[in-house]
Amino acid sequence: MNIGSVKQFGPTARGLVLGGVMGWAFLTLFPFYWTFVTSFKNLRIIVKGPTYFPFIDFQPSAHGWVELFTGVRGEMFKNLANSTMVGVSAALVATLFGTMAAYALTRYRFRVPLAAGLAFAIIAIGGYVGLTELGMKRFEAISLAFAVGLAVSVVLGNIKLPGPLLGNEDIVFWFISQRMFPPIVSAFALFLLYSEFGKAGFKMTDTYLGLTLCYIAFSLPIVVWLMRDFFEALPPEIEEAAIVDDVPVWRIFVQIVLPMVMPGLAATFMITLAFVWNEYLFALFLTNTTWQTLPILVASQISQRGDEWWALSTAALTAIVPMMLVVWLLGKLMRSGLMLGSIK
Amino acid sequence: MLRDERVKHAFIWPALLVVLLVTMFPLVYSLVASFMKYRLIPPTPPRFVGLENYASLLGLERFWTVIGTTSLISFIAVAVQYVIGFALALALHAKVFGHRQLRVWLLAPMLMAPVAVALMMRMIFHPALGPVNHIFSSIGYPNLPFLTDASYAKGVLIAVEVWMWTPFVTLLLLAGLQSLPQDVYEAAELENATPWRRFWDITFPMLLPISVAVVLIRLIESLKIIDTVIVLTGGGPGVATETLTLFAYQEGFRKFNLGYTSALSFLFLIVVIIFGLIYLAVLKPRIEKYR
Repeated sequence: MNIGSVKQFGPTARGLVLGGVMGWAFLTLFPFYWTFVTSFKNLRIIVKGPTYFPFIDFQPSAHGWVELFTGVRGEMFKNLANSTMVGVSAALVATLFGTMAAYALTRYRFRVPLAAGLAFAIIAIGGYVGLTELGMKRFEAISLAFAVGLAVSVVLGNIKLPGPLLGNEDIVFWFISQRMFPPIVSAFALFLLYSEFGKAGFKMTDTYLGLTLCYIAFSLPIVVWLMRDFFEALPPEIEEAAIVDDVPVWRIFVQIVLPMVMPGLAATFMITLAFVWNEYLFALFLTNTTWQTLPILVASQISQRGDEWWALSTAALTAIVPMMLVVWLLGKLMRSGLMLGSIK
Repeated sequence: MLRDERVKHAFIWPALLVVLLVTMFPLVYSLVASFMKYRLIPPTPPRFVGLENYASLLGLERFWTVIGTTSLISFIAVAVQYVIGFALALALHAKVFGHRQLRVWLLAPMLMAPVAVALMMRMIFHPALGPVNHIFSSIGYPNLPFLTDASYAKGVLIAVEVWMWTPFVTLLLLAGLQSLPQDVYEAAELENATPWRRFWDITFPMLLPISVAVVLIRLIESLKIIDTVIVLTGGGPGVATETLTLFAYQEGFRKFNLGYTSALSFLFLIVVIIFGLIYLAVLKPRIEKYR
């Protein structure tokens, strides 16, 4: 069947389509290629102007990579290790929690009175303002206000209240809307909050826990959004049969549901990993030396080694190559035809 | 049929608690701070000033310049992304030569660290030694100030945004195209509709809901632009390419003017919401028509 295929067009139109796509493919891939060859250039070659083909119009040398691997300048390996640890653990936890939440939101009915949500907001904000006015320390005030607000809203959520009810769709929207906030709001406030933690004797800035926790929270909306699509595409009959057989819910989830969404789970994990790996703004606020991540180091190259293009190239490629691996794995998943939902 | 058991709470609470703790905390904190005069350096005790921070920002010329720059970059970039992304999705859906490989590798830019991309682009747009200058020199325009002239720099930032995020539009529209029902096209085939008519009468309207969503997501994300700006231009020349997030960053992290920064962030949030609401209000009736 030719419907919707390029074969429906004449040769000229097909040529134009192919030309356009190949042109875009060239634009997409050229910067990667250029950065790769530039990493083998030295200063003498660079100042002569752009050259494109190693061995043909310039003699490549591996000194940029030698510098990188021997750690002559910069602490590439430390930052690489930090990024890997924070990225993998944040992506794992976010995928786990987010998948559980997405499963609950597709298979169970949630009814939360709007009043409970409002009560939480009022107690949290009002309590915080009130307690600081009364002379309480900011850290204690905000913790207390939040705990009380949460407790009250949970209690209110379990008794019948008048007023509109929030359903599953609203909860999903609440999760996703977290991504609407300009990250600068959260990054700066989180930095101050972590500082308050520090004053209370619990160091959060520039720690593994602080950074990972922040990334888990900001990845969760993506995970919930993606995984919900996968669960919705899953027929519920198998689970219902298992329920009839009195299989405990956690076993249904772990042994039946998760294996069925494995490709989706893998894709979600990798997208989350990419998000955390590439993130710059939070890392900039929340770390300084010990837990500095790769993007911070990459960005700082411009001021430290502006003219040494081989160094810029190797730094950029260190951040890029692992993600190329992710692209390749995602491609394998897509082609396996097992992916359902929003990303086919 | 949705189930209703107490076990659902065990599934949702871990995620809910983390998000509440980490994202609602800062929100409350900075909302309160935005109504205070509150500096960390030099340390001044916070004092309630009502809407003063907001008022002084709204009266600031730089604020409006920054809003203008940010919206210019995002609107043009998202419009171009949508057109190119849609065209690519159609071509890939029509199984253009090599579509299996292209579908994967064309996605590459959007999964790369923006700071690394910006580093690559800084070399590529170098006014004397970069490949782009090579092309412009060969047609008679050597050494254009790509990153040091206000309009060129904005152009480069838009180009980089387009390069990075067109794949996102392609990815989602391709998924949309694959879910379209075939029988409508078969009917159009019987009526001998031209490919052009088929696109405007069937494909485009049926993809409108997903298009609206894709453009909205891109617009919101695009208004937050900072990583590439910091590395490529640092907001310069002067403040010509300063974006909203970068402005907030400068105020907050360099001057530690807490109340002011918080107010700026919330104005930013209001700008995003206003854009979003106008956009949805304009497009909602059109989507409804095709549902």
